Amino acid sequence: MALIQLQEVSKIFGFGEATTLALDEVELTVEKGEFLAIMGPSGCGKTTLMNIIGLLDRPTHGKYLLDGRDAAKLRSNQRAKMRRDRIGFVFQFYNLLPRLNVLHNVALPLAYRGMMPVRRLKRASDILEQVGLRDREYFLPKHLSGGQAQRAAIARALINNPSIIIADEPTGNLDSHDSKVVMELLADLHRQGHTILMVTHNPELTRYASRVIYMRDGTIVEDESTSIGAVAKGALRTYLRRRKTTQEDVIAGVSALLKDVPGKELASQPKIAKYRKLHKRARRRIRSKI
Amino acid sequence: MWSGNVKTALANLRSSKTRSLLTMLGIIIGVSSVITVVSLGEGLKQRLVGQIRQIDPAVVIIRPGKLVDTAGTDKMNLNLLALLSPTTLTENDVGALAKIPSVSTVVPLNFATNSLASDGRQLNNISVLGTTPSLTKVLDQKVERGAFFSEENEGEKLAVIGSDIAKQLFDGTNPIAHSISIKGESFIVRGVLAPSPGGLLSIAQTDFNSVVYIPFNEAKKISGGQTNILQILAGVRDGQNIDVAVLDVKQTLLNSHGNQDDFTVLKQRELLKLANDTVGSAAGFITAIAAISLLVAGIGIMDIMLVSVSERTREIGIRKAVGATNRQILNQFLVEGMALSVGGGIIGITMALLIYFGLRLYTRLEPVLTAPIMILAVVVSVVVGVIFSVAPALKAARKDPIVALRGE
Ligand SMILES: Nc1ncnc2c1ncn2[C@@H]1O[C@H](COP(=O)(O)OP(=O)(O)O)[C@@H](O)[C@H]1O
Ligand SMILES: [Mg+2]
Repeated sequence: MALIQLQEVSKIFGFGEATTLALDEVELTVEKGEFLAIMGPSGCGKTTLMNIIGLLDRPTHGKYLLDGRDAAKLRSNQRAKMRRDRIGFVFQFYNLLPRLNVLHNVALPLAYRGMMPVRRLKRASDILEQVGLRDREYFLPKHLSGGQAQRAAIARALINNPSIIIADEPTGNLDSHDSKVVMELLADLHRQGHTILMVTHNPELTRYASRVIYMRDGTIVEDESTSIGAVAKGALRTYLRRRKTTQEDVIAGVSALLKDVPGKELASQPKIAKYRKLHKRARRRIRSKI
Repeated sequence: MWSGNVKTALANLRSSKTRSLLTMLGIIIGVSSVITVVSLGEGLKQRLVGQIRQIDPAVVIIRPGKLVDTAGTDKMNLNLLALLSPTTLTENDVGALAKIPSVSTVVPLNFATNSLASDGRQLNNISVLGTTPSLTKVLDQKVERGAFFSEENEGEKLAVIGSDIAKQLFDGTNPIAHSISIKGESFIVRGVLAPSPGGLLSIAQTDFNSVVYIPFNEAKKISGGQTNILQILAGVRDGQNIDVAVLDVKQTLLNSHGNQDDFTVLKQRELLKLANDTVGSAAGFITAIAAISLLVAGIGIMDIMLVSVSERTREIGIRKAVGATNRQILNQFLVEGMALSVGGGIIGITMALLIYFGLRLYTRLEPVLTAPIMILAVVVSVVVGVIFSVAPALKAARKDPIVALRGE
């Protein structure tokens, strides 16, 4: 049985004129032990997809099976407990609590499990050892470098030994050296058998992935299995095309990296009809709730 | 989880000290003022009760004016206006009361003046009262030195002075046989009263520690034959029912006042009740004001907490992402609100204690602190904290983690 299974998952934000179709009938299956990289331009729905898989958000339509269990049937506190025990989040901006030191930040998920302070701090300390931050235990997040903060965040994501690690642009805020340290850490976790979902804009980082999906306008436009160590073909295409920023692009303020994503021809077909259909369904649903 | 919550709460409050203190200010003021006011009321009540208990239970007290407004209810209300109007009691009334069979002794308290002098020293704000030797039969006033004047002393200018007056005029030396000057007339000190539960305020309108008793007739003489009778005490004859005596007294006075009901007849027990009710209703009124101030304090806490929840949106998002349930977030903010109000309560109690010792040391107000009021203050501050943290805590718990994490 697949670890993650999305069937026709759609997500609509807002009402009326302000409606956004963030995910458009996404189909995705992720097996245990995969290292999945997700690429695509800004606003194409990567974060929304991660939030739904990470049980932070619910799809407007469609079905999400986590380990064969229908996520829609989980109650709010069951979802919280699943996030705590089965899913580890790593964010672009680290999201450490500024007023807690590194040790307490890392131990936080254990606190919500009701573990005694002495035990959980001991365990946090062990994990920090693994990510090479033992000597920064009593630092506040603001006294860490970006790479250190992200490693602390990874330690926090790891502390409950989750089966899924969701990293949304984990290197988005790091220089190339720190990026490498963080990626090696994720690669290590992958080798240990963790399933990793990572959003990235950097084609270079697809080297660490076993599979890459490309998104555009809320759908997956390409799905590629890659060998670890090599840059994914689709990503490479973007990579090579990257320098070809035209004068018009500069004037329009569009970054070539964000613009040139494979599957452009697929994604460019008009979706208005589909959007209308979905929107109508959503409205009906909302009305029936009231 | 709770100890963790308390720790987190304290850390959060510490990290914004000024704001926390400002938030607590309402509670601090509310709690300290309630405790102070109630302790003052309690002190006043104890003194009043002590004074009233000096009156023999088998004594009927007659006061001028309608002192008590019962208005058909069980509760007795003190009619303060009656204390300001001129007396309606006369020497005739004293004579008439003396003829009632159910009454054995009738003792008037006739106000002569409020000042006296001795050896060039002058005392104001005292009460010189003309009365009869029988006073000691109806009023439990111990004479510490010397003796009260007696029937045989009729015509002599004698005085029995309160303990405070003795202290102020004679500085510990024996005042007996010294002379004091009242309205230019010379009186010889015959006795000194033992200290009694004194007070600034009293329903008897007299502080027994700064009273001077002189014979009734002498008081009348130095007032140019006028009387100003503040009170008449009538002792009930042995074996007679006090309620019968009260009815007799009322009837007699109605007769001599031409059926005008311009006086008040009370038993000691009623006077005690009056004191309790009066202090009680004053304390109730002030407590109501204090309750409003605590309400305002609670709203202050709620306000600040709501702001805090908004500011910490991201923190809430992160906590939820790492697995906090809505309940756990709710608890965190409830504990924080409670820490604020309990902290305010503790500071408030400390302030109240300081005020208490200050008042004891530097004033004559003699407040009395009781355990129930302190416990009540703590309980109330906890309850206020919980009640007014509910809304912010719910707001925090219901935050959508997605929106919370997006909010930069
Ligand atoms: N909470 C939200 N409310 C309204 N619109 C949202 C919300 N979250 C995301 N969106 C919109 O959904 C689309 C996809 O967003 P997102 O998943 O964050 O994209 P990405 O992570 O790929 O940049 C965007 O157009 C974004 O503006
Ligand atoms: Mg994103």
